[in-house]
Amino acid sequence: MLLWIIFACLTAAVAALLILPLARAGASVDDSAEGEAAVYRDQLRELERDKGLGLIGEEEAEYARAEIGRRLIATADKEANATASPAKRRASLAVAGVTLVVPAIGLCLYLALGSPWLPAQPLAARLENPGNNLDLLVAKAERHLAQNPRDGAGWDLLAPIYFRTQRLGDAEMAYRNAIRFLGASPERLAGLGETLVAANDGIVIEDARSAFEEAIKLKPDDARVRFYLALALEQAGKNDEARVAFEALAKDTPPGAPWLALVNEHIAKTGGTVIPDLDNNDEAVAAIQSMGAEDQQSAIKGMVEALATRLEQEPNNIAGWLQLVRSYAVLGDRLRAQQALDTGLQTFAPTTGEGRQLVALGVEMGLEPQQPIGGGAKP
Amino acid sequence: MIIEIGHFALVLALAVALILSVVPVIGAARRDAAMMALAPVASLVLFGLVAFSFGVLTWAYVASDFSVKNVWENSHSLMPLLYKYTGVWGNHEGSMLLWLLIVVLFSALVVMFGKNLPETLKANVLAVQAWIASAFLFFILLTSNPFIRLDPAPAEGQDLNPILQDFGLAIHPPLLYLGYVGFSVCFSFAVAALIEGRIDAAWARWVRPWTLAAWTFLTAGIAMGSYWAYYELGWGGWWFWDPVENASFMPWLAGTALLHSALVMEKREALKIWTVLLAIMTFSLSLLGTFLVRSGVLTSVHAFATDPSRGIFILGILTLFIGGAFTLFAWRAPKLKSGGLFQPISREGALVLNNLILTVCCATVLTGTLYPLVLETITGEKISVGAPFFNLSFGLLMIPLLIAVPFGPLLAWKRADLMGAMQRLYAVIGFAFVAGLVLYYIENGGPVMAAAGLAMACYLMLGALADLWYRANFGKLAFNVAWRRLAGLPRSAFGTALAHFGLGVTVLGIIIVSTYETETVLEMKQGATAEAGGYSLVFDGMRHAVGPNYTDDQGHFTISKDGVVVADTWSSKRLYTARRMPTTEAGIVTFWFSQLYVSLGDPMDDGGIVVRIWWKPFILCIWGGCLIMMLGGFVSLSDRRLRVGAPSRKAKVAKPVTPVMEPAE
Repeated sequence: MLLWIIFACLTAAVAALLILPLARAGASVDDSAEGEAAVYRDQLRELERDKGLGLIGEEEAEYARAEIGRRLIATADKEANATASPAKRRASLAVAGVTLVVPAIGLCLYLALGSPWLPAQPLAARLENPGNNLDLLVAKAERHLAQNPRDGAGWDLLAPIYFRTQRLGDAEMAYRNAIRFLGASPERLAGLGETLVAANDGIVIEDARSAFEEAIKLKPDDARVRFYLALALEQAGKNDEARVAFEALAKDTPPGAPWLALVNEHIAKTGGTVIPDLDNNDEAVAAIQSMGAEDQQSAIKGMVEALATRLEQEPNNIAGWLQLVRSYAVLGDRLRAQQALDTGLQTFAPTTGEGRQLVALGVEMGLEPQQPIGGGAKP
Repeated sequence: MIIEIGHFALVLALAVALILSVVPVIGAARRDAAMMALAPVASLVLFGLVAFSFGVLTWAYVASDFSVKNVWENSHSLMPLLYKYTGVWGNHEGSMLLWLLIVVLFSALVVMFGKNLPETLKANVLAVQAWIASAFLFFILLTSNPFIRLDPAPAEGQDLNPILQDFGLAIHPPLLYLGYVGFSVCFSFAVAALIEGRIDAAWARWVRPWTLAAWTFLTAGIAMGSYWAYYELGWGGWWFWDPVENASFMPWLAGTALLHSALVMEKREALKIWTVLLAIMTFSLSLLGTFLVRSGVLTSVHAFATDPSRGIFILGILTLFIGGAFTLFAWRAPKLKSGGLFQPISREGALVLNNLILTVCCATVLTGTLYPLVLETITGEKISVGAPFFNLSFGLLMIPLLIAVPFGPLLAWKRADLMGAMQRLYAVIGFAFVAGLVLYYIENGGPVMAAAGLAMACYLMLGALADLWYRANFGKLAFNVAWRRLAGLPRSAFGTALAHFGLGVTVLGIIIVSTYETETVLEMKQGATAEAGGYSLVFDGMRHAVGPNYTDDQGHFTISKDGVVVADTWSSKRLYTARRMPTTEAGIVTFWFSQLYVSLGDPMDDGGIVVRIWWKPFILCIWGGCLIMMLGGFVSLSDRRLRVGAPSRKAKVAKPVTPVMEPAE
């Protein structure tokens, strides 16, 4: 509202300023040509000075004076011919024009082009009050780190966010800084390895492999790290060792874990036998696959609801929580996924091994685990 | 909210400009004082609105308000503060707003300094200025609006083009625009005179300060642009005959011609029609330059946006103004009375020669610039007209002009004695020849033409001084008498001498650099030594540095002469992180007027790096000469006689001695 009042005042002020000279009564045309005459009189005076000082001959001065004199006479003629005619009516027409044109053009064009509903948004003020805007939070953290580049916790916080938003170069730098200032932890080492793999089109490069190997020393049962180490073997052409590693991983994986399918895929690829996922009832899966798209959706939703109900009664089932969070996220229901994650974390604290799995999955799915990644987890 | 108020002010400015375009013209035609009185007020209001709008955009840049699309596209929150200010015009939309701001600024200046102008002339001039402002307001609001918003606003901007992140951006565009747009005032005066169908010597007097101011700023703007390209692009060149450079050089040539022809008109009322035509041509060339640069027809660092709709819009403006003005000229010019007569050998004659050569030069540059474009449009064949064409054609044309420069001010008006002037210049020619030969032997070697060129440069500089010498009559009168006469000369005489002297200095720099510069390209490892211009450079190695929004690989060089260390310099390759764009920051060391220019190339596998070293003798004379020309412009602009014409001043007693029949300006 204030904006429109300001617009109105501005328009009125401009129109008034323009009308003022038009409305001034009794104005008559100044046709004295005084300015022109002054120019020529000045030329004459200079001529006289030059003559007086002997800088110009008598004859040339005479010629020049005649020439300037003719110009002076011409201005006098013009003055005599000029006639002034006051024209009140035309001026009032112009007044009407001004009062009409200024607001009309101003308003119409602005309505077509402007965005009156948007306030000014200087960056400093937005950073003070970032709200839920992830970009702004990142920008704020970046500014903080530009000032305090040795703040490991800050790098630790930013690293997984960079990874998720595909800023892989920044993610690598952030993980490395976090490791440098806070020391190595399985999460940081695994994150660094994963970043390097993503940045190299899925190839587990030497740097990544050594990061994973350090991570597994600190935390031998980390499924993610074991998977990448097995993948490294596979990519190195050591099929047999890779198969053994994948099979061992599959054996230790609780039934229904979301990564089991991927592990099985690799076991098949390296020529091993797939361990069936007990929770994924084959008959049910086959039944769902034969349905139409809409029915499929509702059937899947039904299964997910059933899982949610079961977990309410028996919350002490980490594989179930992992599957529930992943299912909601895949179905695009971010709100429920977040709720499931939060509830799951109540049972399995983020500092425990199971809790970390939940947190890692939450990060992977783009959710916000209560506990910032790595914030509290120290090796 | 402030952003939207700025946007609204710009829209209101269009409304005001439209009223200003129409009402005063009707008023002048019907001799209605009230309607004419609208012109000054509306011009000031227009200036106020546009200035406010420009201020709001500047605020948005400084505060990093990324909800403004233009700011998001061309700024970054971590950019140094200076570049946040200069970034306002470091892009298409903002630079058009700056252009508009300067148009309305000049209108406001006409209001403030034009109290002695006849009412009708003033009303028409301000109205024509408003036509130009309206056209550019339409262009800005409809195709290049800097106030378009983004919702939601991004958290970080995309950064300014790294090549533009330089102090040069703070100076070059505003000066160039003051020059370009300054000629719009001459254009408006010419069109107003054509509308009134009346033009006389007083008109030329009123136009002259505007021509002089525009010419001075344009000289400075071009020189600054040239120096900027020289040190920032890392190629070691100072003028490339690049179409964008030509676009600014053409108005300069035409403007120089206008400056001289307006003189003849003021003193003798001759060349009236020609002067009006030149005034129209000069501004038309400014508009053409804008079109070439802004439409994306030419690819260069200046082509911020290649949006065809903008090109068509500018083409429309171009057709309207140039076509309209020439039509008006064809219709009204025959009605203008022609003025004084003169002999071929006279000051007027010399100035006609000047005009003739300058316009032919301008036409040559125009042909060389547009021919490839036209050829490509018609036949699809791509050719490039480069330095050899321009150097040969332009260089040959300049020789007679440069020879004539010292003669002009020494010739009398109306009819003069060429032999007399020759006699007075004998000494100058002799001295110049000796000085040229001496310089030739000092530098030892080089083609024979260079010696002639050096002599020419010395002849120009000495000729400018000789003009003052003979005016003051040193040698004939006692020294102190002559000194007093010198001190009493009008400032415009000093302005002329300075401008002509500066031209000589520039020519000197051009000749020496093009003849004696050396270029060395070699691979250097740490500790390696290279020779250039009698100095030896030792490469001390590289280091890595981090700036606010870039990273830098810097090489350090120690420079010594005869075993004594005289200087050192850093030369670097810079990477701007936001745009992942590399730039070269050449290491430049100045010795008097000469420079050593060190530029880094690509690193080699064996740890060495490619280094280019130029020795540029007397290169600073090129821009130093331009600075002297600019100084001449300002000195001339401060001349009392340019302000004469206000009736209240006529009672004042004037200054002492002034020489024969109005001296040269």
